[in-house]
Amino acid sequence: MIARIAYAFREMWASFRRNLTLTAAAILTSAIALLLVGTTLLIQRAFENLLVQWKGDVAMIVFVRSDATPEQIALIDESIRSAPTIINVDKLQYLDKTQTYEEAKRIFVGDPVTLSLLTPENIPSEFKVVPITQDPALVRSLSEQYRSLPGVEDVALAEDEFEVISTLSKFVRTVTLVMSLVLLVVAVGLIWNTIRTAMFARRREIEVMKLVGATNWFIRVPFMLEGLLQGLIGAVVSCGGLWALNSAWTNGVAGFKPGTGISSLVVPSGYLSAVMFVILIIGALAGAIGSAIAASRFLDV
Amino acid sequence: MIRLENVTKRYGSETVAVRDASFDVAKGDFVFLVGPSGSGKSTILRLVNRQERPERGDVWVAGQNVNDLPDSRVPFLRRNMGNVFQDYKLLSGKTVFENIAFALEVIGKPRHVIARQVPIVLDLVGLAGKEDRFPNQLSGGEQQRVSIARAFVNRPLILLADEPTGNLDPATGEGIMSLLDEINQTGTTVVMATHDHRVVNAMRRRVIQLDRGVIVRDQERGVYE
Repeated sequence: MIARIAYAFREMWASFRRNLTLTAAAILTSAIALLLVGTTLLIQRAFENLLVQWKGDVAMIVFVRSDATPEQIALIDESIRSAPTIINVDKLQYLDKTQTYEEAKRIFVGDPVTLSLLTPENIPSEFKVVPITQDPALVRSLSEQYRSLPGVEDVALAEDEFEVISTLSKFVRTVTLVMSLVLLVVAVGLIWNTIRTAMFARRREIEVMKLVGATNWFIRVPFMLEGLLQGLIGAVVSCGGLWALNSAWTNGVAGFKPGTGISSLVVPSGYLSAVMFVILIIGALAGAIGSAIAASRFLDV
Repeated sequence: MIRLENVTKRYGSETVAVRDASFDVAKGDFVFLVGPSGSGKSTILRLVNRQERPERGDVWVAGQNVNDLPDSRVPFLRRNMGNVFQDYKLLSGKTVFENIAFALEVIGKPRHVIARQVPIVLDLVGLAGKEDRFPNQLSGGEQQRVSIARAFVNRPLILLADEPTGNLDPATGEGIMSLLDEINQTGTTVVMATHDHRVVNAMRRRVIQLDRGVIVRDQERGVYE
């Protein structure tokens, strides 16, 4: 058993070095593809920080002063519920100060100065309003009414704050996702081709192996390991790139003026590690799949 | 040991390689398959080691119907037979020792077995002391000996040889034949395809003659004609 494993790794390494140019191309392509996959995930997450308070078709947020009395809050609640033709009252959501503070932690993740000024005591609570109507003018006129209610600090409309970012985010997601998928397919194809070439270069050896009774798996495994290694190295390279990219971005964003929203576009380091882990898995899988297809199809030499 | 029952094999729809061939080879036999090029000799060898499957009829090896064997069992069938070819099929990047060891390595034999078996078989084929040479540093006859050593190192029940003397001068071919004879003496069944009159006539063993895929003669102690 140990002899077999040693054999597989020895053969993998020999073949890996023999085809250095093709191998480098395959690794580089998978690295770039995976870098794009990772970037997509990070961008998505960064935008989410900004969009988290608008999740679930929320179109209007009524911020309630932190010193508002329970009676004032009840009155605001009542006013909002009094327009059931415009507002979906079932989806009306009230976030108390603690919940709002939790949310703020995400919105201001890249803006510790602003976050430090907020506490669960001085933060406004908020009503999240989901409209039924398709007419933004109606929602806007309602917002004017709510603004004049006692205890209301401000009313924010998604139209003003969110739609540009949302559209941008969807566009960026689609483009990067499509690009990374295409590149991933290219990477699998290149790994496939590298393995096919490696097998072709060793067809005499494979012929002899088959004649003396080596099993197909025995012949196949070194090639599959080689493909897996290519995908994995590509993934490691892309993880490095992703880390560098994210560090540069986080540092760059830190220089922006607080409160512009741009500073929210960062990801927590735990999420970065998770994305890297996912990328390593995708890389290894892509390599193994590409080489497995090649090894199965070209074993009959 | 080997039995063909009414075996027919065609390549494509036109070319009939073997037509309705039947014969029986007992354990320890030495059989020549003779006939001109394209008469079906190589095809019969390829049917026996399951590189080809017959269109009709059955091929039996060591009591097993080779046609019924699932693909995953074919490697284990082949571990019972050694193959020798006209062009040796040695790996040029490996030394003599490595070429022979390779046959054991790829069927998962541990290193100490390889270290013990290879020198024994090198000695048998008369190449002791040349284990570190590469194939292109050897004469044709020596290369064929390496290939025979590789085929025999696993002590197979059957040795299939396809024109093993085809690329060699008569004197060297004689040496190869006496080596095959020696291997046959150990109880290994040998089937050899050839159109070399001299070796067939000198050996006086069983001869199965083919003509355009049909067996036209099956004779004990035969000559080539």
